Amino acid sequence: MPAPDTDTTHAWLRELFQRQPALDLSSLDICFLVALQHRAQQLSLAAFSEQQLLDTFGGVCSLLEPVAEHVAARATHSLRRLREQHLLIRVDGAGVSRAGEFSLSRLGSSVVDFFVEDEALTPDNLELLAQTLLASLNDVLERARAAKRPREWQAGVVGALRIITGDLILGIERRQRGLDIQQEEFQREIARRLQTDWFGAIERCQEILDSTAATLRQLNQLLLTYCHQFQTILQDVLDLACTADQAVAEAVVHRAAGQIDRIAAWGSARQSAWSEYYDQVHRYLRDVVRLDPARALTQRLREQLNGLEASPFALTVADAPALAVLRSVVPLPPPAPVRRPRAERNPAPREVALDPAPDPLRARVRELLSEGQQELSELTARAIEGLPAEAHFASAGNVAEFAALLAVPRLSHERPWVQVRDGLVIEDWQIGSDKGEAPPRRAEPGLATPEEAMREPATPEQVVPSDTLSSQVGPEVEIARSELTPRSDA
Amino acid sequence: MSEPFSNLGDIVADENFPGVDMALRRGRHVHKGDEAWYAFLYDAQALLEDFYHRYGYELVHRSDGYFFLLPASDSLSKRHLSVAEMIVGQGLALAYLDPKTLERGGLITREEFLNQLAGAMGTDALLRTLNPKRKRSDERIAQRNARQKVGEALRRLSLLGFVELVDAEQLRLAPSLLRFAEPVRGLEAPSEALQKLLQRGEVSLGPGDAESADEEDDSGDGETGDGVTEADANDDDHSFASTGESELPLQLEADEA
Repeated sequence: MPAPDTDTTHAWLRELFQRQPALDLSSLDICFLVALQHRAQQLSLAAFSEQQLLDTFGGVCSLLEPVAEHVAARATHSLRRLREQHLLIRVDGAGVSRAGEFSLSRLGSSVVDFFVEDEALTPDNLELLAQTLLASLNDVLERARAAKRPREWQAGVVGALRIITGDLILGIERRQRGLDIQQEEFQREIARRLQTDWFGAIERCQEILDSTAATLRQLNQLLLTYCHQFQTILQDVLDLACTADQAVAEAVVHRAAGQIDRIAAWGSARQSAWSEYYDQVHRYLRDVVRLDPARALTQRLREQLNGLEASPFALTVADAPALAVLRSVVPLPPPAPVRRPRAERNPAPREVALDPAPDPLRARVRELLSEGQQELSELTARAIEGLPAEAHFASAGNVAEFAALLAVPRLSHERPWVQVRDGLVIEDWQIGSDKGEAPPRRAEPGLATPEEAMREPATPEQVVPSDTLSSQVGPEVEIARSELTPRSDA
Repeated sequence: MSEPFSNLGDIVADENFPGVDMALRRGRHVHKGDEAWYAFLYDAQALLEDFYHRYGYELVHRSDGYFFLLPASDSLSKRHLSVAEMIVGQGLALAYLDPKTLERGGLITREEFLNQLAGAMGTDALLRTLNPKRKRSDERIAQRNARQKVGEALRRLSLLGFVELVDAEQLRLAPSLLRFAEPVRGLEAPSEALQKLLQRGEVSLGPGDAESADEEDDSGDGETGDGVTEADANDDDHSFASTGESELPLQLEADEA
């Protein structure tokens, strides 16, 4: 989340961009602006009349472009451009009722200042500015001590810090920028002199280096000294503002302290940068220029470069292989077993309540048996009377099962197939008296079910008389009986 | 500079020693721009000279402000700079001597350097030297190949401490570049100076060792009869983008003059 002040800056930048500001100035336009400023200072003019503007442009044009034609038309275009770009503003406010009066805007003056002002920070003007600033800050501190009401804080502290102190600090910063430009010019001058004069330029280069270094050193010392005093006073003012709960004053003091920090940092940064440049140029003067007064090295090196193809040579350099630093080998861990999410394949059994509703077919069979039905075919026919035709086949089996459970079937060798309904024929049984919910046949002592007889080896005690078996089970069991009967003769 | 070291143990125990030692053995030139390393070597010079002498190296300190290790016997691993490295190194030395570079604190852009190099040698000579095996010359391919070789040479020279690649565009020249001007620094004839350097083992005659590797690169599998690869023909500036170099303005009017 951006900080609030960043938001404000962004909003301000967007608004500025929407206004689409742009500057498009020709060299003649800039010279015209400079001439206007110069004339205003010479003649102490607060504003220019239209005629004065035209005269000034004509003078500049005749000086710089003497062969130019249509000077009046060019002046009109130039004035229009300057006005559209807010470099020149009308100050009389009379509109079209009469010829106007014009003045350079703050932007126009700044453009001119950039090109013509050569005022750089020097120990003298820094001393003067710093002392003035110190007096101003002491005055602010006294007013802060005496201030009791918000209006007194506003007039004596906030206003003074914003205007007087702020302008003095800006004056120092402006001169610092001037000195930056001067340093760049010195660097260019050193290169230019070496280019043109070579050995003869050593003295002048040395002089420039030393004088600039001394200036920067002095400035840095002055800035460190004064800035410490400024910060002490501002800290006192800040303490008083905090005690008096003056938020605006606190903010203004913080801003002034930031400006002071900036001008102090400039001093050390520039001194450090110049020191590096100083060393480099000194080394160059000593190792290159002084050792090669005729500047033959460059030429000879150029010839060597061009002759390399014909007589090649190569520098030798050491090329030891990099040290083999053995590292401890950590065995790789075994790969993780392949896994997949476990799913509940067999859900745990759960208890469910049995359906309490009685089987209607079973009840019907019981009812028919109680009425004395003797034939399975008749019983089946009556039991399935009300059922749909597709359920007849399955129900016939159920009826036989229920009949066998509820009564005792009487089996005989002759069991005729009887038609119960159309498409349904069953093997007919004779059914005995009702025995209720009869248990499986195993319930009778000494009698095994046919399945058990086939599965389990029978003991001699389990063997029953053959006539009993033959009357109770079918022919399949008859086979089992013959196998299980002990051989008494053996 | 601080107090010189009194014994070798202190030198070896110094935190700068491992880095400086490995760099020197790999051919690095330690100059004043390497502030901590240079100060360390300056303080330890007397003891380190004996130390490296036992390995068969000579620790050389030049008054221009740089140290380097010179293999004093054939048993030690050493290499000779390639033709491309020698050309670029001498071009950089020329730029180092130029007062214009001094104005900018020893900084020069790649484009300016290439302009100066082409101006000093002439475009044709530069291309011919950097493309010795090209029989039929395609100017565009030759220029591209030359740019690649210059970029690679700059990279290798930066590893040897002759130049610092500040960013994709800017180069900072080191005083160790004056080693390339050694044969022509004295008042004697260059051939005599070269002979002395040869006796001291500082130079070798003929193209350097690394040149053979470069030539092998040139005659790769994908190369056609005239030395132009398919990639060369299709790819404009792909490999050059990695070095951050722009189109080499080899067709300069200055160099023709």
